Amino acid sequence: MNHDSDPYVFRRYVVLAGKNLRRRPVRTGLTVAGVGLAVTVAVSLGGFMLGYSGAIEKSIDMLGFQVMIMAKGCPYEAATMMLKGGTGLLYLPADTYDRVKNDPSIESITPIFIGMAQKQGSSIRDDGGGNNFSIISGIDKDSYRVMKPWIGFKKGAGYDNGRWFGSAARDEVVLGFEAAEYEQRKVGDSFYASITPAGKPDPVMHEFTVVGVLDRTGTQDDGTVFMPIEVAREYFGRPDQLTILGIKLKQFNAVQMQEFETRWLKLPEVQVVGLQQVKSTLVSLVATAQTMIAAVAAVAVIVALIGVVNTILMSVYERTAEIGIMKALGARRESIFQLVWLETVMICLAGGVAGSLAAVVGSGLVERAIKTVAALGVSGSVVRITPALIMYAILGAVILGFFGGLYPAWRASSMRPVEAIGKGA
Amino acid sequence: MRNILIEARGLKRYYRRGSETVKALDGVDLAIHAGEMVSILGPSGSGKTTLINLLSCLDAPTEGTLRVAGRSVAGLREEELVEVRRGMLGFVFQQFALLPTLTVTENVELPLTFLERRADPVRTTHILETVGLQDRAGHLPRELSGGQMQRVAIARALIADPKILVADEPTGNLDTKAGEAIIELFQRLAHEQRLAILLTTHNAAFGYRADRAITLSDGRIVTEEPGQAGNLPHVHPFLRPVR
Repeated sequence: MNHDSDPYVFRRYVVLAGKNLRRRPVRTGLTVAGVGLAVTVAVSLGGFMLGYSGAIEKSIDMLGFQVMIMAKGCPYEAATMMLKGGTGLLYLPADTYDRVKNDPSIESITPIFIGMAQKQGSSIRDDGGGNNFSIISGIDKDSYRVMKPWIGFKKGAGYDNGRWFGSAARDEVVLGFEAAEYEQRKVGDSFYASITPAGKPDPVMHEFTVVGVLDRTGTQDDGTVFMPIEVAREYFGRPDQLTILGIKLKQFNAVQMQEFETRWLKLPEVQVVGLQQVKSTLVSLVATAQTMIAAVAAVAVIVALIGVVNTILMSVYERTAEIGIMKALGARRESIFQLVWLETVMICLAGGVAGSLAAVVGSGLVERAIKTVAALGVSGSVVRITPALIMYAILGAVILGFFGGLYPAWRASSMRPVEAIGKGA
Repeated sequence: MRNILIEARGLKRYYRRGSETVKALDGVDLAIHAGEMVSILGPSGSGKTTLINLLSCLDAPTEGTLRVAGRSVAGLREEELVEVRRGMLGFVFQQFALLPTLTVTENVELPLTFLERRADPVRTTHILETVGLQDRAGHLPRELSGGQMQRVAIARALIADPKILVADEPTGNLDTKAGEAIIELFQRLAHEQRLAILLTTHNAAFGYRADRAITLSDGRIVTEEPGQAGNLPHVHPFLRPVR
């Protein structure tokens, strides 16, 4: 009878391999931890690769428009600025809006003015200078809402009765979800911002009333302070300027985009940027970085595998006499091979499961760490650990165990019993 | 006619050590019968372990003929020798070699895993009763004395129902009392279960408790004498009749 075909015998081998591993619990535990750590790194990085690409796509999609018209410069820098905010903004002449808005291929268009306001001395939170700017977005609320129909107001105590500011209200703002949380503001609270008008040396403090707090969108809108575009332009001392025009075309395809771009590139100081193109470029740039990340993960896995092979080899050498006796007791070469191989696979399986669990549990920490050390340019979750990713990680660990166990298993199974027993005497 | 289980003729085992040839065994003729207990005596280096390794198919002879249970085994490769050993030979070693994380029962049933046979709890219990360890079935080796561990090793050797039991210095790590008990157990197994028992020992008093005592020197048999196996002086209290 071949034991491969007998689940009972196979179970006996599994039990035996498990009990062998328990003989050196610290060593086994450390080896499993090594594999687990490598798998955690691999799963976390895999989750980041998966999540970041998705987050870029989502963030761009959630801008609500397919095309941006903006001042000439690096379109990707501009797009990233739209996604994450930033300084060094370039501005368009405000009449660009009037010239473009009647283009027959446009379904909807919204003008946006973006500026950075200082929060020093005005914020409840004080980060010691690390995050003392608010992104102020001056918008035309009606066209903006058409572009982003999913935007709604947060409900609950202190947030009920949220509304958009009046079209020309000079002292009303709407806060994005995270901006409100960060500033600890509710509807009816005051919000202070120091804005330095263009060409002026000193900032001017403005007091606003929070008239609404938006629901979480998972985009840069969450961290933005919205006010009427005319008011923002005035406060920033740029009454005749815009930052971008967000445009949704009636038909969005390469031909339409090309035609639209050709029509409006004639304007001086203007560039037309298709967000699909931005998205593709950003994702491909990320893919390049991800290749480096994958290499790091691969190194971690290889180091862990070397640890596993070392542990099993040590275990085999320690048990030389015992293996000889097992052979004397009737164990065939393949029996010993299978036993040692199973031990390796079990270590890798345990490491794979433990590492995947650790990655799931620690994904929040990883996300915070990544966001702390790198400006990612996207909002929302950038680490996405899926069941398929975990399955691949565990499967990968087991496959590594299969290969890692080959040499120790071959060494053990090749021992001649009379010599092996003699070494233990 | 008595059933010969092991038959050796002109058995030699030479080793190369550098440019020197070591004659560990230099022409041994021997026959061992079912139900016979044979001890191999001799000083260190006399060839006891080499002889027992050859007779138990753990090693292959350089020259000579060897038949185990009627099958010629001289010249077989390890892959073929293991097939001869499986189920035919049981082994007991000086160092016990129990797996520390397995219970007594699991250690005893270990060979069945390698033989791809299912364990029979009734038979395991019977074997443990035979060696007087039925009340230690769930214990781990570290919870046992040296004598008890050696009896677990004997039970492990018996579980696959072998025809030949090979014991290399089985009393070497035991005190006199425990060693005495092991020898008495071997005597009973040989006579009541018709097992051929082949053991090596440094202890002449134990060696002469066998049916035959063979003394080796420089790889040759120098004396072969009948032992005193028929004179069982007493039965140790832990031993129960073998069914």
